[in-house]
Amino acid sequence: MPNSAFKGGLKLENPFPAEEIDLIRIPLPDKVILPMQQRIGEQAKPIVGVGDHVLTGQVIATIDDELCAPVHASISGKVVAIDEQVMAHQSGLKAQCITIESDGQDDWVDTSIGCTEHYELCTPETIYNKIRVSGIVGMGGAGFPTHTKVQLAEGCHTLIVNATECEPGITCDASLMLAYPTKIIRGIEVLFHVSRAERAIIAIEDDKPEAIALLKKYCKNDRISIEEIPTKYTSGAEKILVKSLLGIEIPSGKFASDVGVLSLNVGTVVAIFDAVVENRPLISRAVTVAGGAVKVPKNFQVRLGASYDYLLSFTDFEEGKHKVSVAGMMMGIELKGTNYSITKNTNCIFVGIDEKSTPVKAKECIRCGLCNTVCPVDLLPQQLYWYSKGENIDKAVEYNLLDCIECGCCSYVCPSQIPLVNYYQFSKALYRQQVNEKEQNDKARDRFEFRELRLERNKRERAEMMEAKKKALKEKMASDKAQKNIIEAAVERVSSSKSDTKEQDGN
Amino acid sequence: MFEATSILSLLALLLGLGLGYAAIRYRVEGNPLVDQIDAILPQTQCGQCDFPGCRPYAEAIAKGEAEINQCPPGGQEGVDALAELLNVETMPLNEEHGEPEPKRVAVVDEDVCIGCTLCIQACPVDAFVGSSKVMTTVIAQECTGCDLCIPVCPVDCIEMVEIKTTVRNYIPDIAELAHA
Amino acid sequence: METNRLDTNQIMRQVIYALVLGVAAQIYFFGPSVIVQILLASVTAIIAEAVFLQIRGAKIKPAITDGSAILTAILLAISIPSIAPWWIIVLGVLFAIIFGKQIFGGLGNNPFNPAMLGYAFLLISYPVQMTQWPGEFVSFSQGIDAIFGLNYVDSLTGATRLDDVKTQLMLGTQISDINLESVSQLWINVGFLLGGIYLLLRRIIFWQIPLSLLLGLALMSAILFFIDPSQFTSPYFHLANGATMLAAFFIATDPVSASTTPKGRVIYGFFIGILIVVIRVFGGYPDAVAFAVLLMNITVPLIDFYTQPKAFGK
Repeated sequence: MPNSAFKGGLKLENPFPAEEIDLIRIPLPDKVILPMQQRIGEQAKPIVGVGDHVLTGQVIATIDDELCAPVHASISGKVVAIDEQVMAHQSGLKAQCITIESDGQDDWVDTSIGCTEHYELCTPETIYNKIRVSGIVGMGGAGFPTHTKVQLAEGCHTLIVNATECEPGITCDASLMLAYPTKIIRGIEVLFHVSRAERAIIAIEDDKPEAIALLKKYCKNDRISIEEIPTKYTSGAEKILVKSLLGIEIPSGKFASDVGVLSLNVGTVVAIFDAVVENRPLISRAVTVAGGAVKVPKNFQVRLGASYDYLLSFTDFEEGKHKVSVAGMMMGIELKGTNYSITKNTNCIFVGIDEKSTPVKAKECIRCGLCNTVCPVDLLPQQLYWYSKGENIDKAVEYNLLDCIECGCCSYVCPSQIPLVNYYQFSKALYRQQVNEKEQNDKARDRFEFRELRLERNKRERAEMMEAKKKALKEKMASDKAQKNIIEAAVERVSSSKSDTKEQDGN
Repeated sequence: MFEATSILSLLALLLGLGLGYAAIRYRVEGNPLVDQIDAILPQTQCGQCDFPGCRPYAEAIAKGEAEINQCPPGGQEGVDALAELLNVETMPLNEEHGEPEPKRVAVVDEDVCIGCTLCIQACPVDAFVGSSKVMTTVIAQECTGCDLCIPVCPVDCIEMVEIKTTVRNYIPDIAELAHA
Repeated sequence: METNRLDTNQIMRQVIYALVLGVAAQIYFFGPSVIVQILLASVTAIIAEAVFLQIRGAKIKPAITDGSAILTAILLAISIPSIAPWWIIVLGVLFAIIFGKQIFGGLGNNPFNPAMLGYAFLLISYPVQMTQWPGEFVSFSQGIDAIFGLNYVDSLTGATRLDDVKTQLMLGTQISDINLESVSQLWINVGFLLGGIYLLLRRIIFWQIPLSLLLGLALMSAILFFIDPSQFTSPYFHLANGATMLAAFFIATDPVSASTTPKGRVIYGFFIGILIVVIRVFGGYPDAVAFAVLLMNITVPLIDFYTQPKAFGK
């Protein structure tokens, strides 16, 4: 029996407990805004233009990068704009997005083209390709391209379906389990075929008894087991989950595939089923809508690109100036207003009323060490804090800054209310910048030195060539002269013999 | 009192000998100074320091023939880093050599370019691609923003463009997190 | 086990509340003068901190109200003889706040325990006043007389149990002939022990330092006692006398100057315990908590460096 407890983490109360977590299907949105820059990978380039008519499931942006999944139209209609829109990102920066206005028809692309063979007859490569062209990324929030992940995990021994819900208050995974238990089981079977794994574990937190019971009822495959794990925050983090289920600690810098494990979010598994069995790309996802301004938390199956306002309109919400916390209360980013769109990673939005409150000013760190007791990765957050503050990135990296999963447990317990995670996000970004700069500098140095070398070489070659020419000329001149001498000597001889003959004749 | 003096002197002698021995026995062969200085310099190869490239400037600093505050692209951080490396007092950046500016790359206006190749010859890191009578373009990843191509272009078709901040290279501001 | 979220101010306040039992025992046995010392100390601390925050250009409001200065003041006030003249505590607190805290940058930046730094300063500079302890219950008016120098009464003073035992040992008396009993010391230590347990239960302090300190102390005194029971006092004596419990639960646990890693805390506490016994027995001062803590404060960066926890996946 695997030990499901882990060191650190927090037992948090559900801030928005929901009586019902059924997945509610809502009508099509009027318009969708789809960003070109997904969480991971290069920015995709639009392959449609303004004014084009697109079908649901049609590829509208792509780029030749292994880590970039293509972007599909989530509704049918007309492309009305390809311009910069605000991203749901802490920077508040804008990025290129495609806006599509719905024609209300939801005309799908022809799902009968492409590989329609039963997946058991397809090679793994075909299935990887299907997953890739369907634009599937990790739906738990990380957004790593699924086709790459599945490919890397070829030959793994265990499949883990992560249905633990990222954070307290989110229930979208549970709603998926209640709505599509068979899709999940069959999606796992697809993955069995592709990865040749021996068994699969569906990990569910123990506060979701209905979901657990339903899945057990529908699961007839004895290679799939359903594991209940204690409800504790950060149990959903991939590395932590692998450790608590299998007792394997993934080495720092490596991935689950390196230890023979493929771990996917339950939403990703459903998307894989849709892609491989029904030939439908990723165009919608389950989102939890909750928060202080939402009277009853709900889960919606919504098309990608729909706005938060659109989702809110289906809830009983409190009027007022809104602020929204995207992706949870611990790791979420705080944004003002609700003028953002659902992306492939948006698993929840917590909408609250933006009240005028004095921001809490952090106090000094008193070195109490509470942060270390709750860190699931057993880091020394206070050390990372001091080094991040002093911008001493090298030291911070030495203290394992890059292993931080940014879960926010440390910030939560800090008695001085220091926003620790923000410091780590800063120093990680600074680290990336420094690494890039160093690479650029080294390249520039190499190119400069090569150029100097090249110029030197050119000069040398020129000088050598001149030398060679000069020498050749000299030789030629010398041989010319020699020739000339021979000719002169010959002429001399001829003329002297001629004069001799003349003299002889005169006598 | 005589005892105290002699004991202390003996101690001083012994410890001094010990330190000298350690300095020789445990000597660390490090990088030559020039390499270390060069590693700190930004490799823009722009010549604003009055030397024909970063390496010549590094050599000059190592020989003591140049001050450490002559490099604008390195900014004040670069001066401070050099000061720390050489174990000297840091000094403000010498503005006479230029002002530090945000990272920029050169962009050629392709409609105007006449293919004279003067910019290709001027670029210290060979970031231009082109040929005689053929349009030239810049490889953005290789451009160090040194500005050496600007004055040589006879039709003034090169512009320096700042690098945009995107969500991928965004660095959060921690000044606003500072505590009371 | 719900995670309780604490505030720095709350932590300081809880520690102050936990001191009540021990201080009550002190008052019961030696009179209410300690309250006067506490009041003097607190006022001095607040004024000193405010002035220095001003000089440093830091904001006064949040720093003053966080209770750390008052805590330092109270700890120092209950560590010195309650009938010490008023200027002793004032000087001590000034030294502690200014040189023990503010010049390093205020709360969170001091490498040494400020209260202990103040105590060490006082002990070395004014050994006479710092070793004249009340021998018996001192009434309020007598206390005021002593503190404010109006009418000094010699008969009040005596040495602490530790000091007494030490002097007698130096004179050659065997342990078996010395009166080791001290009801007052025992109850004061019990008071602080109970306060400390309260802090442990409320998770204000962690078990590593108190447990390892008491263990180190007991172990070292047991070793000595085992070697020669006629020369060295028993572990029980060390645990029940002097500022042992105060040190274990309130002084060594000061988070700012203690080690920050879990393993490091065990080492830190353990060696404080050992040093307390060593300095008590072989050193020149009757009680050793201040010096033991200050010495271990110096080693904290080293301990922290070598006791980093192994991160996940490393």
